[in-house]
Amino acid sequence: MDFMNTYTICVFTENSIGLLNKITIIFTRRRINIDSLTVSETERKGISRFTIVIKHEKREEVEKLVRQIRKIVEVLAVFGYLNEDIVFDEIALFKISTPLGSRPLDVETINRVHKAWVVYWGLDYVVIQKTGSEKEIFDFFKYIKPHGIIEFVRSGRVAVAKTPMGLVEYLPEDMEWEYYL
Amino acid sequence: MATAIEIMEEEKVAIETKLLTGSQALMECLIAENVDTIFGYPGGAIMPVYDALYDYMDRINHILVRHEQGASHAAEGYARSSGRVGVCMATSGPGATNLVTGIADAIIDCTPMVAITGQVASGLLGTDAFQETDVIGITTPICKWNYQVVDPDEIPEVMAKAFYIAAAGKPGPVLIDITKDAQIKSMTKPFEYKKITKLAGYHPRRVPKLEQVEKAAELINNAKKPYILVGHGVLISEAMEEFREFVEKADIPVASTLLGLSAMPIDHPNYMGWLGMHGMYAPNVMTDQCDVLIAIGMRFDDRVTGDANLFVKQAKIVHIEIDPAEVEKIKKTEAPVVGDAKEVLKMLLPLIEKKDHSAWKKEFRDLEAAEKEAVTDRDLAKVGKIKMAEVVKMVSDKTKGEACIVVDVGQHQMVTARYYDFKNPHSYIASGGLGTMGFAIPAAFGAKMGAPDREVVAFIGDGCFQMTIQELGTIAQSGKAVKMIILNNNFLGMVRQWQELFFERRYSFVELQNPDFITIAKGFGIPGHKCEDRNDLNASIDALLESETAYLLEVVVEKEENVFPMVPAGRSVSEIRLK
Repeated sequence: MDFMNTYTICVFTENSIGLLNKITIIFTRRRINIDSLTVSETERKGISRFTIVIKHEKREEVEKLVRQIRKIVEVLAVFGYLNEDIVFDEIALFKISTPLGSRPLDVETINRVHKAWVVYWGLDYVVIQKTGSEKEIFDFFKYIKPHGIIEFVRSGRVAVAKTPMGLVEYLPEDMEWEYYL
Repeated sequence: MATAIEIMEEEKVAIETKLLTGSQALMECLIAENVDTIFGYPGGAIMPVYDALYDYMDRINHILVRHEQGASHAAEGYARSSGRVGVCMATSGPGATNLVTGIADAIIDCTPMVAITGQVASGLLGTDAFQETDVIGITTPICKWNYQVVDPDEIPEVMAKAFYIAAAGKPGPVLIDITKDAQIKSMTKPFEYKKITKLAGYHPRRVPKLEQVEKAAELINNAKKPYILVGHGVLISEAMEEFREFVEKADIPVASTLLGLSAMPIDHPNYMGWLGMHGMYAPNVMTDQCDVLIAIGMRFDDRVTGDANLFVKQAKIVHIEIDPAEVEKIKKTEAPVVGDAKEVLKMLLPLIEKKDHSAWKKEFRDLEAAEKEAVTDRDLAKVGKIKMAEVVKMVSDKTKGEACIVVDVGQHQMVTARYYDFKNPHSYIASGGLGTMGFAIPAAFGAKMGAPDREVVAFIGDGCFQMTIQELGTIAQSGKAVKMIILNNNFLGMVRQWQELFFERRYSFVELQNPDFITIAKGFGIPGHKCEDRNDLNASIDALLESETAYLLEVVVEKEENVFPMVPAGRSVSEIRLK
């Protein structure tokens, strides 16, 4: 198989029911697997932002995909980015076993080296939050694994483009959108 | 004490502020969009709408079809012959799922359609209620837009959006699913309808960017062997006149796609025929000879390109197209021009140099002899059993090429495309992209409703005819003079042809035991007769064309006839076979 590049596709949409389905079936039909997906409302009311990460060997196929997504009526703007075009992060939560008598956690290393934070203390477990790239999260995963991972969850990617522009510049002209404060 | 006048005033105010139900609002929306005809079928979840329709019968002509698939194809036929949005309506569940084939057909052939479906009451959504189907889920991949209405207040805006989206840019189907409670409940505000001309997320570019047009003009002006492929887009944008001026000024040979047929009269000196899998010889093979290919309102379908990697490898491509997603979807393009064909051609025309490409055009004409000898002369030789070609040719001559031709899918579809001499635009209505058997009877009826003054003649295969045969009832009830010709070879002919050519004549389930079509038609109240003898063909076609009512002519044709030329699927057009 050819080399697979990671693409981050950012989709700005009106916030309406069924839109997630309308977007994902475009991937399904072309047999493109979605690595991660994050949806949230933007700084403007009624406008959602989808951040979709895929791997693909052909740039032109991804460009075609972006144009197909753009055809959805509720979609206001779509952008496809390579990793170097964006600032991006993920967040992970680790539920780590800390029964009585177990090896104590090295909180200093966790904080200073891994920039991770204990966010909840249970009776015989803790929850550690780690934000960073996929690699940083998995480096921490390897580090913390000997303590016993009861549960691990990683979010989808969130990303902003490395341009001085904001969302406002991408939206259709002469449309008025209400800002959050 | 109030005077009589005051009381009347009060009543007047009450009437003016009377709030419409969702169903009444829907009717007012259809009136506001100048909808004169809808094709539909009632049922439980759409009954409030049908009840409202009862009061609008004088303004909206509702056609009761016999199966909802017929409603969606009839809406397509209506849209294709009239250029207006076709409207169909069905109930929830099976009613809605029966519309699906027509909706899928409309999206791939860019046919403007608004489909209205009833849905179970909003409180029952997701409970597997009687006749509940997730119609939005089912139709999302095949609709340009769809939306579920649960509040009658939404209806005016949603319908305005529906009609705008269906017709704007590259047309397509829109489905509006209305829950039963939204049909019954009254609006909370007075009905007000505002037509929509632009949406935040959808505002297709009609007028192209000048630099794109200039780049295209430069390529066209410098071309030694330019070649135009004209598609359905020119018909959709009604750009026939601009197209003709462009072609004549630049003196470029033209071939059409299947759905581009009738965009240019076939006797125009620059028109070389149509191309594609069963298209004509010269238009196909000359794609390998041109140096600049100008594609207008077409999308490089695989039935046009064969193996797309081998298609027009030597030429630079100018692609005039309204949908940006079509640009470079299949072929790398040197000069894409995104815009409406009419607007693009208007801008292009003054930038184009007047040329004389007589020698280049002659190269096309020189190739015609081979096809004439190997295919056309044989098809029209009038020996042995009646051939499909001679039936089509005779109808063409008798209607002077002026009829609106509707076809089903298969051999007869290709033969009709080959032998009907189209003179007027919007005259070849076919299921091109989806290849939907059963399209022709309802689409022909819809076409007649959309263009009542035109002679509508449908050519239908014996297999296809049985897929929507029940719509004969719709035609009979309407009293419309739809003329139907069954070209009966007792086979699913195109599949049989493939089995003969590519599957060692293993005829797997392609032979039909057919009913007596004429008796069936008579049972529906449609006159007709069967023609088995070449000597009767002339009088038979006269009887069909002279009939003042709908008419069915069954012509028994050669059983194992093959359609040539043929580009084998997935091969280069240079591998075109003449026999």
